[in-house]
Amino acid sequence: MATDTSETPAEFRRNESWLFDSRVGNLLRQGGLVITGLLIGIFLLFPLYWMIVTALKTTAEIQQIPPTVFPVDPSITGFVTVIESSLQTAGIDTFFENLLGVEISSAIDINVLGNIYNSLFVAVGAGIIAVLFGSVAAYILSQRDFWGKNGIMAVLLASLMFPGTAIMVPEWELFSTLGLYNSKLGIILLYGAMTAPFVVWLMKGFFDDFPTSIIDAAKIDQCTPFETFRYVLVPMARNSLIASFIFAFLLAWNELVFALTLLNQENFTVPPGLLTFVQGFNTQWNVVAAASIIISIPVLIGLAYIQRYFVQGLTGGAVKG
Amino acid sequence: MTRVNVSGLTKVFGGGEQEVVAVDDVNFEVEDGEFIVLVGPSGCGKTTTLRMIGGLETPSEGSIEFDGTRVNDVKARNRDVAMVFQDFALYPHMTVESNLGFGLRREENDLSAEAMTERIREAAEMLEIEDLLDKRPAELSGGQKQRVALGRAIVREPRVFLLDEPLANLDANLRKTMRTEIDALQTEVGITSLYVTHNQEEAMTMADRIAILDGGELQQIGAPEVVFNEPANTFVATFIGSPNINLFDGTLEASESGYQFENAAFSMEFPTGDLPENTGGQDSQIGARPQDLRPLHGDETADVSISGTVDLIEPLGTDAIVRIQTGEGPVTAMIDGYERLDHGDELKLGIEREEIYLFDAAGDLLKPRHYEAAADEVAA
Repeated sequence: MATDTSETPAEFRRNESWLFDSRVGNLLRQGGLVITGLLIGIFLLFPLYWMIVTALKTTAEIQQIPPTVFPVDPSITGFVTVIESSLQTAGIDTFFENLLGVEISSAIDINVLGNIYNSLFVAVGAGIIAVLFGSVAAYILSQRDFWGKNGIMAVLLASLMFPGTAIMVPEWELFSTLGLYNSKLGIILLYGAMTAPFVVWLMKGFFDDFPTSIIDAAKIDQCTPFETFRYVLVPMARNSLIASFIFAFLLAWNELVFALTLLNQENFTVPPGLLTFVQGFNTQWNVVAAASIIISIPVLIGLAYIQRYFVQGLTGGAVKG
Repeated sequence: MTRVNVSGLTKVFGGGEQEVVAVDDVNFEVEDGEFIVLVGPSGCGKTTTLRMIGGLETPSEGSIEFDGTRVNDVKARNRDVAMVFQDFALYPHMTVESNLGFGLRREENDLSAEAMTERIREAAEMLEIEDLLDKRPAELSGGQKQRVALGRAIVREPRVFLLDEPLANLDANLRKTMRTEIDALQTEVGITSLYVTHNQEEAMTMADRIAILDGGELQQIGAPEVVFNEPANTFVATFIGSPNINLFDGTLEASESGYQFENAAFSMEFPTGDLPENTGGQDSQIGARPQDLRPLHGDETADVSISGTVDLIEPLGTDAIVRIQTGEGPVTAMIDGYERLDHGDELKLGIEREEIYLFDAAGDLLKPRHYEAAADEVAA
């Protein structure tokens, strides 16, 4: 809205309150909104800010009381330690020493880059499984009428409400019986199963609102149900499928408890990997913060890339003139 | 090239309390290459009938035959029909070219890729959309989308062409142009076509034969001039023709020379030969088309006349729709020379006996309007 440069003429004043009708009132009102917005913003963004600042501080400065808001003596030791310890633990430090002509030696032996690789592998796998099974199930649940359909939807919803840790013991039994303990495949299947119900609910909403005449057109154009799904629905559902994938990916990326329980250190994903940095009084918080930043990068890049699909209206103009 | 035969076709939606009979025992036959228009008010079952012929709905009862072969259990994708939808239903993620070719490339045929491209190009040329082949539906105007939807249907050269209110989403001018084009296109490709609309004018101008449905039941099927001049009942008489026909209630009694129609405003004699036998002694209705009513000036006379006060004048250019209030309710006439008229004027309207319709107590036709049948369309 354009800023008022003059008082509203009396005959156009519809609001009783002076807050809307006088210039001072408008300034006060809008100022109040801006300040509230800023406060909420600070509340949300401060932890992120603190993580970045901590990563750039030295261990000595982190332990200073009162804490410094800006790093007095910025250093990237945290990042260097993370990378060096990763290379060293992965056993490829000699290669990089020769390549770059630097000496790599780290007191910590945690492979953050390896954790990131594990996490990416597991999260992409879980995302694919969830989207594949979830969207096919959602299509059938949306398009076909059969007995027990609502029951299935209710069970799927209930499974989302159920705290995962409550089934930790049977889950562990299952994994050990199937020989899936400490395997990436096992954790991929688990994460896929945890997120697929959400994908079913999300995609069912999409398929329910899908213009039926386009499905009819595909039938008339001699498509089998699978061809309709493959050539018409999936391309049109791209945005929703991407959103589903992101959801499954983020859950797998952030999940701590199952990963910690069902994996060993060499297969650790990022969350349990980060946890191993926290070692009582010896915790190097700048290293933890640096590792946290490094693991956020793939997610941030992914989200930035994918954001444009949410903006694009793919179905725009398909129906109606 | 296919003959479509629909017999005893019935569709019931829901069950128990919510049971709705959408289509009720509909029978008709569509000749090879014929253009049939299904017309009726909303909810009359015309779209459901079309969807059943296309295989998108399963009939509850009755049968649909293509060239004598029952296709009730044949899936839509195997019927080799093409359909144009009201909302066009183009695939938004494909270019116009892919939209046109989608069905062609899905179906089992022995066309080479080049032959398909050629077919698509020909269809695009016929519809004058060659320039749009690389665009996506979102970039097209309503009329262009409509052409693409038509092209998608004709490119496959289907056995039957189904059109479900294809012009309903277009503006009035475009609707008239496209109406002519679809009609010409159908004549050119000669594919058996069924066209659904709620617009009687569209039906009259395009159809070889019109099928009028109401409440799921087929009221009449016939050539446009037949349903106009010989409507099976008062519903058809009212639905076809614009403005609506004027109907007057009265009684029909036998008289010496034939039958006498009587009501408070006028009476009228029908000679014996005009009506079926033994039709006297019942309530009846006569109908007069607004186009047939003419103003009577001075001592001019007509077989029947009625006078009233003008209360509505809708000029249409050379003529106007004029409504007068009479003792028998409002009467609408389409007359020229309306410039001399004003609200509140007294106007006397007259009509000749041969232009009058007569209906019996049940609303079924007793006497049609006299007309010259087209030579090749006798008794459709």
